[in-house]
Amino acid sequence: MTTMDKILTVCPYCGCGCGLYLHVDRGRLVGVSPSKSHPVNRGSLCVKGWNAHEFVVHPDRLLSPMIKDKGEFRECTWDTALDYVAKRLMEIRDRHGPDSIGILSSAKCTNEENYLMMKFARAVVGTNNIDHCARLCHSSTVGGLAAAFGSGAMTNSISEIRDAKVLFVIGSNTTEQHPMIGMHMLDAVDRGAILIVADPRRPQIAEFAHIHLRHKPGTDVALLMGIMHIIVNEGLVDIDFVRRRTENFDTFERILRDFHPHAVERITGVGIEEIRRVARIYAMEKRSMLFYAMGITQHITGVDNVRACANLVMLTGHIGLPSSGINPLRGQNNVQGACDMGALPNVYSGYQTVTNPRARRKFERAWKRKLPVKPGLTVVEMTEAAYEGRLKALYIMGENPLLSDPDLNHVKEAMKRLDLLIVQDIFPNETMQYAHVVLPACSFAEKDGTFTNTERRVQLLRKAIEPVGSSRPDWEIITKLSRRMGYDMKYRGTYEIMEEIALLTPSYGGMLHHRLREVHGLQWPCPDIAHPGTPFLHRKKIAKGLGTFITVEFKPPAELPDEEYPFILTTGRIYFHYHTGTMCRRTSVLEREEPSCYVEINPDDAEALHIKDKSQVRVSSRRGSITVLARVTDRTPQGVVFIPFHYSEAAANLLTNAALDPTVKIPEYKVCAVKVEPLIKEDRRPRSIKIVDLEDLRIT
Amino acid sequence: MTKEWILPKGHLSYWLRQLRNSASLIAPLRVDGDIVFKSLENIHEVSLDNPALLPSPKEFLFPQQESLFWIEDGTKVRQLYNNEKRFVFGVRSCDISALRLLDRFYLEGYEDPYYSLRRKNTVFISIVCNNPEPTCFCIGLGTGPYLEKGFDIQLTDLGDRYFVQAGNAKAFRIIRQWNFLFNKPKRIDYEDQYEVFLSSKARFQKRISLENVRKYILAGKVKDSFWGAVTERCFECGGCVYECPLCTCFTVTDRVYSFGIDRVRLWDTCLFKGFTRMAGGVLPNEKRILRTRRWYYHKLIHYPDLLGGFGCVGCGRCTVTCPGKIDMATIAIKLRDLQDNG
Repeated sequence: MTTMDKILTVCPYCGCGCGLYLHVDRGRLVGVSPSKSHPVNRGSLCVKGWNAHEFVVHPDRLLSPMIKDKGEFRECTWDTALDYVAKRLMEIRDRHGPDSIGILSSAKCTNEENYLMMKFARAVVGTNNIDHCARLCHSSTVGGLAAAFGSGAMTNSISEIRDAKVLFVIGSNTTEQHPMIGMHMLDAVDRGAILIVADPRRPQIAEFAHIHLRHKPGTDVALLMGIMHIIVNEGLVDIDFVRRRTENFDTFERILRDFHPHAVERITGVGIEEIRRVARIYAMEKRSMLFYAMGITQHITGVDNVRACANLVMLTGHIGLPSSGINPLRGQNNVQGACDMGALPNVYSGYQTVTNPRARRKFERAWKRKLPVKPGLTVVEMTEAAYEGRLKALYIMGENPLLSDPDLNHVKEAMKRLDLLIVQDIFPNETMQYAHVVLPACSFAEKDGTFTNTERRVQLLRKAIEPVGSSRPDWEIITKLSRRMGYDMKYRGTYEIMEEIALLTPSYGGMLHHRLREVHGLQWPCPDIAHPGTPFLHRKKIAKGLGTFITVEFKPPAELPDEEYPFILTTGRIYFHYHTGTMCRRTSVLEREEPSCYVEINPDDAEALHIKDKSQVRVSSRRGSITVLARVTDRTPQGVVFIPFHYSEAAANLLTNAALDPTVKIPEYKVCAVKVEPLIKEDRRPRSIKIVDLEDLRIT
Repeated sequence: MTKEWILPKGHLSYWLRQLRNSASLIAPLRVDGDIVFKSLENIHEVSLDNPALLPSPKEFLFPQQESLFWIEDGTKVRQLYNNEKRFVFGVRSCDISALRLLDRFYLEGYEDPYYSLRRKNTVFISIVCNNPEPTCFCIGLGTGPYLEKGFDIQLTDLGDRYFVQAGNAKAFRIIRQWNFLFNKPKRIDYEDQYEVFLSSKARFQKRISLENVRKYILAGKVKDSFWGAVTERCFECGGCVYECPLCTCFTVTDRVYSFGIDRVRLWDTCLFKGFTRMAGGVLPNEKRILRTRRWYYHKLIHYPDLLGGFGCVGCGRCTVTCPGKIDMATIAIKLRDLQDNG
């Protein structure tokens, strides 16, 4: 065995999709180093990437399948576990119908696995009840941008950022959450670009901003409409572009008149002058890139926020050119891919809708099964259906709803009511305690496949070490289960699955593994095997023909602060951790840096409440209450508090509101009302001091 | 003790094969668009084009992650030593210079047994840089592009042949083992080697005097506002420390399995606030500026005071890896410019 092998693969953390080498010494993972030639990270990595090797062999890894017996998990063989799962799933399907089964796929798994999971749900189980965590982060993007342009992804490439002249970043803590994209932004600023950041908090990226707009949480629509109002009023509209490439401008313009800058100032708390400056700077430079992330999408007006961004881009014609476009920053390493693969209740791979008879026939012919017509349930709706008893079984691959979903107490109750809960993961997680069967899966280092990063780059994941314990790659588990349920899935390797994907998915038509091996992946659309991939979208023509101006209206957040709950709580991630902490909290350096949950609170608010830095406070909402440490900082404005959602021992999602966007059902993680109280009331009276006479102390 | 030979280029692959038969051989190989140090399988994949590869060869002496010992049944302790004999081929002078300081850190006073054993079992075959990268600046520091002493075996590419130098007795014995491959150098070979040195020196794009920077800092001329601005750009990735051939920070953690306990040493960095956390949760370096500034102070002030040389050998790896562009070279040049402008 070789003593020092280095295998190029893709980082398992965020959507940047950095290229890294896994170091393998006699079959053991011993380190990580960045790829110097990779177009995204260019020899850099963030701290999570640098430590991506450690969690793989953590003692907590699930090593064997387990079935719950009298309230306790018993280890068993794969055959026993899979036979049991197949039998129970078929029983439930026969008794309650296929729609009584729900499937959660995973943005952490490969494209091949998501495709198979989607096929399993639709062809084997016979339901469209398949969804994944994109619902909770960027479903607004998929919904909003697809309606406007016909495609819901970053329109530019990451390497185009450094050539941009204006960067407008709204609702994204880029340097901490997409560090390598942050690096390119910093590069652009060094090269003279103007950086505009809109964020109620002051994230690190705002330190480099030329203009930082601190609007009130949940007022993004008003802010963006205010900017557009000024662009229209001052004649900065790209009229040629609007005429030739878009539709429905007139209706939109009528709505826009309502957003007079004075009204916008009142709603957002941002001065007219600032809004005017941003409007002029953004509209007048062609190489303007707009970026957004969870700050835009995780609201009950998530889709409207995205539409407003899309409208801004169309109004100024900043799309369809290099360094000019609209760029949603996707969170998970493969959330773009999981969406592309159709792990969503309403579409097959490549966003071919299930209600379209032609698309359905195509998949029916390929899969040789009759497919369900009705779109399925979303993540949050599945929880609701389980709570009401309509959903009997849930098969979860690589997700942890008991930490990631809003209003956790409710989710817990729903999980308890399921007849069958199958959890397939690499580590025990919070959801597992309610599971009936646990299936151990392989981590990113132990399997092949492809990930699609936020710039639509499909990259090869390469196996570096043998599976830990008796864990198996997710795709293998799905094929074995499927066989037991009477549908034979035969694949010799992930490359064969990719061939099937390419056959059925126009945008992935040329994405064959042997092509991806040559370069650091290809960007979709890549329709055929000679196509070089597409660095930026909507060149010469908007994907769906004409870009559509969709009217939006400003709606305040579902829950606003009042006398009892006077603060707005906004949640998010922090640099050293990642989502529900399954991997990073098992990495010693990362866990050591941020071992406990905290609440960021403005110094003025802290003083008024007698809260000291690092003291324990209780944060409560109408739905729950948690105890965390206070972190007094002016990064968070007055009246707003911020809590990271990684910590199961103080889960921010016990507090959050499950109010949903009406179109795509994304929950409003970014705004809910809470109160903050110090746990130990400060004793303000001076302590009585006993004065001791020195004479008394004298030893006699 | 230095001994010199000439190795015709045609003999190199034969020699490498022989080395590989006697120990494991690690060399810079071209894979998937990058050149990385890894175990040599196909001799023809060896690529000597790129000077400073990511990460530095310190990983062969002080690995990113290594098991120190294993505890079974709660009491039985088994030390885990890596006894493997290795040749690391194709490293550069800067990295060899770094080893000298790394040795002082790990071997003087308390001798780290893990490092010590690996060091004894590893022979470095370095190559004189005749194609420095734009990020390289060893030339101003005396740590490259070639070395007078301190190397195991040093090769200089003379076009059709290598000039080979053995820097110690162990290296001498290795060359002697295959002495039929090597010829005695002629006068012209010495001339040619000198030519290579000269032409290599002329190709450097950066010349930095860390000594001047050190004096400037010691004179108290660098204000906190400067370090504050530097800190703002820090992404806290730890890349500079991980990549640095001289940085020695590590952490120790226990992996408690059902069948035993694995005590593991991992790379860590002083740029993280938790690195110096004390019992009770006090963070002496909680402010980020303290940590960033400390890194430069350690390299530029404390290292020379303690170990007699800068904590930087000019390999330029931090320039490649730093996402915030606050690497040693950039900061040194900024400070030089500040100094120029009074």
